[in-house]
Parts: sequence; C-alpha cells; structure tokens
Amino acid sequence: MGAVAALVGLAAWARHGRPAPGFDEARARMLLAEEFPGARIDRLWIARDGKGALARSGAKALVLMQLGDGYAARSTCWAQVSAAMFRNGRLRIELGEVAAPRAELAFDQWPPADLAA
Amino acid sequence: MKDLDPVTLATPFFILAIVLEIILARLGRAKASYEPKDTLVSLAMGLGSTVAGLATAGVVFATSLWVYQHRLFDIPMSAAWAWFAVFLLEDLTYYWFHRLAHERRFWWASHVNHHTSQHYNLSTALRQTWTGGAAGTWLLWLPLAFIGFPPAMVAIQKGISLVYQFWIHTEAIGRMPRWFEAVFNTPSHHRVHHARNPRYLDRNYAGILIVWDRLFGTFQPELDEEPCRYGVVKNLATFNLLRVAFHEWAAIGHDLVRQPRHALGWLFGPPGWSPDGSRETSDQIRARWAAGRAADAAIPAPAAAKGPTPDVRSESPA
Repeated sequence: MGAVAALVGLAAWARHGRPAPGFDEARARMLLAEEFPGARIDRLWIARDGKGALARSGAKALVLMQLGDGYAARSTCWAQVSAAMFRNGRLRIELGEVAAPRAELAFDQWPPADLAA
Repeated sequence: MKDLDPVTLATPFFILAIVLEIILARLGRAKASYEPKDTLVSLAMGLGSTVAGLATAGVVFATSLWVYQHRLFDIPMSAAWAWFAVFLLEDLTYYWFHRLAHERRFWWASHVNHHTSQHYNLSTALRQTWTGGAAGTWLLWLPLAFIGFPPAMVAIQKGISLVYQFWIHTEAIGRMPRWFEAVFNTPSHHRVHHARNPRYLDRNYAGILIVWDRLFGTFQPELDEEPCRYGVVKNLATFNLLRVAFHEWAAIGHDLVRQPRHALGWLFGPPGWSPDGSRETSDQIRARWAAGRAADAAIPAPAAAKGPTPDVRSESPA
C-alpha cells in the first residue's frame, strides 16, 4: 500500500500526463469523426469549461467527456438529452452504463437558443 | 514455492522500473506519460488481483495436483529439455488463453480491465484482473499437468511469462533489433495489442514469443504512420475502481436479464456481439474501417477486412 501511495505521489509530482487541451470545436469535430465515423453532425455544443461536448446527429446524441488527460465518447438517443436534468449550469445526461454512468456538461443555459430556434 | 515465485521476486524491480520511467519521462529522457488517477487505478487493480488470486489459489493448486496424479509421463524438473518444453508449451497455452480472453465475452469480462487505461506505461502492466480465477481461465493450463509437467514447474513458467510481459508495457522503448522483433514479443508489438485503432484491434496476443501470432495469423506490426491510441473501443468514463473491475460483468448481467433467450450469444459471442446487430465486434469495426479506407483510396479492399495488414514498415533496430 505504501509503495502504491508513493508511486501515485511520484506520478502526481512528475505531472507528466499528456497535454489535455480541453474541447474546442475543431478538436471535438475531429474526435467525433474518429469515434463515430460517418456520423453527420447537425449541431455541436462545447461545454463552457471545455471538459465536454455534445453533438446532435439526427435522432442521436453524441457525447464527449474529458477523463483525466483522456476522454470517453458515447452515443445515446436524443430523447435522453431532452429528458436530461439541467441544474446549476450543468446538463446531466444519464447514459445508463456501468462504465459510463452519466455525462455532466457545463452550459450557460439549456436548451440553448439555437436548439429552441 | 513462494521463494521461487518469479512475480514475488520481481516485485521490487517492478516498483523501481516504474519510478525510473516516471523520472526519466519527467527529465525528458524517455517517452512516457502518467496521469495520477490512472496510475492509482492500475496499481490498485494490481494489488486487488494479488488478493483475488489468493482466493482461488487453493482450488487451482489442488486441481492441478489431482490432474498431475493422472499424468501421462514423468517429466523431471531437473532436465533442461523439460524447461525448454514447458517454456514453449506454456507460451502456446498463453497465446490461446489470451486470444480466448479477447474473442469471447465471458472471458473478455475478466480481462478487459487490463486494457482500460488510456495510457501505456509500466503501471499499465500491473492493471490486472480480479476475476480471472473465477472465470476459470486457469483450466487451460491443466493439460500441461496431464502431460506430466509438475504443477510447480508450470507455475514458475507462468510467473516467468508474467515478469517478461512487464517490461513490454512501455512507450520508452521504440523498437528492438530486427531479429528480436521477429521472434519475441516487444514493446512495439504489445503497443499494437493495447491500441484501439480499428487496424490494431485483437492483434498480437503473444506472451513471450511473437511467433505464435505470425503462425496463427494475428500478427500486426506497429506502423509509424498510425500511432497507437490506447484503451478500449468504448473507453471508460470513470476512474471508479469497482466499475473498472466489474463493468463488463455488469453489462453481461444487464443483457442477460433483458434478453435471456440470447444468453449463449451474450455470454460466449465475441465482445460487441448483439442479436440485432446494433453493436459492433472487432471484426466488424475493422471491416468498416477497411471499407472506408478502400473507398477513400478508390481501390478494392480484399483481405484487409479480415486479416492482418501486411508489414509495410521496415523494422529497424532501436
């Protein structure tokens, strides 16, 4: 246990993770193309803190979530996003997977004006 | 027996090697990246795996002894030829165990956590299963005892294989000399194994000798033009240890409850199998990728959909 703590401490001290620049539109589109090849992106919203992104692709929602210096991607039905709770500036989308229980994305408002329009 | 356990003997070396890799990376002398939470999960999985292994060790040892009592031959532990034979046969067994652990969901559920890190460093080597013993993969080694190899000999060789596989979990080593890459599993070959790029999925199952992959058609060299992206097809969105350890078992349980009449497929189909084809297996992902690539290049995609990609990169010494 001591060795584990020491090694994790060393890894934290070294701070030698990969650069995790956060999501902007270009990076989100690149990763979405990689994760969901051929998926048409109708709309794309980048989380305020750059730690996630949400895209609408027809009846599907494509989600990118930052995890440490990596990320995870999931697809769910758009209805799940419509039913998602928005509170305190965070949209909480239930993904229903043990490996990815939910996505929490920071937005100024939800639904955004461009979606309502 | 404990004194001869190669893994126990090598544990201080594991720790020192990780320390060295982190420091060299920090100093810019080696290619490696560590993320503290990811490292914590890997090391905790390693500790948990050791504890879980103790829980099934008695059953494994007793069963091996019982099979050995009904052995075909008496193979002496003192003979050099016997060690060479057990080296080859254990490594062949490992290849098929590993292939099974990737290609059938029941065993993938116990092995997947080794692949859940998005990093590839020496700590990833220690991200080991908690449920391998319960999944019964150790049964595959029983034929060695039946042939006549003493269980202690098999256990030592298994340990040697595990220790060998530690050092190949690194990006710090580029490529080994050409002759070594041709025969042995190396960091380069194993990076491919841990990659989630469609081209690299379910390739390079070797333990020590890469020749098994070359022989059975699962070899894929690392290509300079396609850097490895590590993790699983659907990366985990959590560092929660229990979710890392049990997520695929939980997913199987969920599928079984939802569609019990497809139990055999859910349990023993390839990972990604589904009765309605709504999910994708590795072969299907690779086929889709190959078709897209062929369409882009406007050339036909013959065997690329199924077989490994030809070696278009010349291997060179590190």
